[in-house]
Amino acid sequence: MNAGLIFEGNCWKFGHNIPTDMITPTHLVLGGMNEMVKHVLEAANPDFPKNVQPGDIIVAGRNFGCSSGRAIAPKALKATGISVVLAEFFSRTLYRNGHEIGLPILEVPGIHAAVETGHRLRVDVERGIAENLTTGKLIEGRAPTGFLLDMLKAGGLIPLLKSGSRFFTSEQDATR
Amino acid sequence: MNMIEKILAKASGKKQVVPGDIVIAKIDLMVMHDLSSSLVSRVFRDELGGGTIADPSRIVFVFDHNISPATQEAAETLVDARRFAARHGIQKVFDCGSGSLHHVVLEQGLWAPGQIIIGCDSHSTIYGALGLFSTGVGNNSMVGLGFGYCRAWFRVPQTIKVLLHGVLGKGVSPRDVAQHLVGFMGEDGAVYKTLEFTGPFIEALSIEDRMLFPLMSIDLGAKTGFINPDEKTIAYARAHSSFKKFDLFQNDPDVTYENEVEFDVSKIGPLVACPPTIGNVKPVEDVAGIPINIAEVGGSTGGRLEDLRVLGKWLKGQKVHQSVRMQVVPATRGIYLEALREGLIETFILAGANVFPPGAGSNQAVNMGAMGEGEAMISTQPRNFPGRNGHPKARLYLASATTVAVSALTGQITDPRQAS
Repeated sequence: MNAGLIFEGNCWKFGHNIPTDMITPTHLVLGGMNEMVKHVLEAANPDFPKNVQPGDIIVAGRNFGCSSGRAIAPKALKATGISVVLAEFFSRTLYRNGHEIGLPILEVPGIHAAVETGHRLRVDVERGIAENLTTGKLIEGRAPTGFLLDMLKAGGLIPLLKSGSRFFTSEQDATR
Repeated sequence: MNMIEKILAKASGKKQVVPGDIVIAKIDLMVMHDLSSSLVSRVFRDELGGGTIADPSRIVFVFDHNISPATQEAAETLVDARRFAARHGIQKVFDCGSGSLHHVVLEQGLWAPGQIIIGCDSHSTIYGALGLFSTGVGNNSMVGLGFGYCRAWFRVPQTIKVLLHGVLGKGVSPRDVAQHLVGFMGEDGAVYKTLEFTGPFIEALSIEDRMLFPLMSIDLGAKTGFINPDEKTIAYARAHSSFKKFDLFQNDPDVTYENEVEFDVSKIGPLVACPPTIGNVKPVEDVAGIPINIAEVGGSTGGRLEDLRVLGKWLKGQKVHQSVRMQVVPATRGIYLEALREGLIETFILAGANVFPPGAGSNQAVNMGAMGEGEAMISTQPRNFPGRNGHPKARLYLASATTVAVSALTGQITDPRQAS
């Protein structure tokens, strides 16, 4: 599904310590994705849900997706059509859930200061590289390996399981 | 290895694990409240395409947010979850009024030291106070690996040691210490890490008070938190766990840490977490005088019997301030009953407080706890993001049961050290 994991798109920049409450408003959590997608991240930037385009790229600061686990948050981000999320680092729940639902995410220390909203970015998740095409700056991030990468390539944990991957059920080390 | 590493090694069939390893561990219990059981059952149906659950006896549903549905949608969420449970042979369903998810699991004795428990909410870390490894996972993890194979994947985390010593001052509670750690170390102070809470202060606490520390680990970004089990842990497990035999994993003497921090709790005063996040922690004197409309003692971080006893001590023979609605939400039905037997419920009612059925309370405005524009609540709840409880300009202040109690009497945020 995401076999290439190479994306080019326009940047939307967000701040540090954005909680899942801010990504997905509480009163819409059980209301279905069609309604939710109109309000994703509106508390941080009201223009985002109105103007986000398929293929756009989110760049956040430290601890993106903190606080409540709220697994619907990465699903709502994916439903907006964004291609990839970059951050200095993610909350552990969003990092985990992002891989599990096949939302390409990449930790790129230094990225936050290197981009602005509207910049054109090119991201190679598998190689762990983000390039700001507007400024020419290239930054290396932490490329996913092992089955974190397998999940992203398959489009998530459940598609990976359905594809017949057996190592999840064995007692063997999944890092291989 | 430390306690967490030993539990992960055993559950994944290994002699040894080190931080950074990714393991597939056998899970002892999977626990979900009504919001997550509803979302998980949707993922099971729509994304996995249905199927059989490997071991339904290891799944627990507790309906704690929708305690008495006021809308058709909310009612149908519960109907869906009950049907899902019945269809798949999930028998451990604790319906509305049983209490707050993790406190029900504890009260029912569905745990034992040495086990692994996963939930779909961030406060699943509470069991680290009892010699278990526990953490929150996503809905797809719960469905794909948990329901499918009774397993979960984990990256073995680095560990930060938090050493606490000293004696609490007047008007200061263990809750203030936990909030201080969030404020001092920051909401990203321990992302992906394990927090080990240790030192003379932790050792002297009751098991109930110890729970606050692993419980609030998530607010530092941690994967899990734990307290190395001791004789108090063993005694509590013997008294409350339904498992007669269990494994007690303790730290090896030579464990190493990624980082160590130390605090003297006697230097900490009462604290209030102010909007917009739990990390915005201020000394109570900085916010004293702010008028409040709702005061609540209840929910996962404040509905314990100890919290109700504190509230009872302050409300005995008093009246809640006329501009305040005081809400009491026992964490479980057992706690409610014990509070009734101790005369606390009568004290609350005579003081003009409203006692709600056990549950999550105003943790988020699902079944209660919504506010209009400009209203303010002080509560023992764990979250305060704007919009979580009604209007985005309503304000949520989080504090200990002591600070909430004295504020309910005066109608404004009040320093418990100034109260008589």
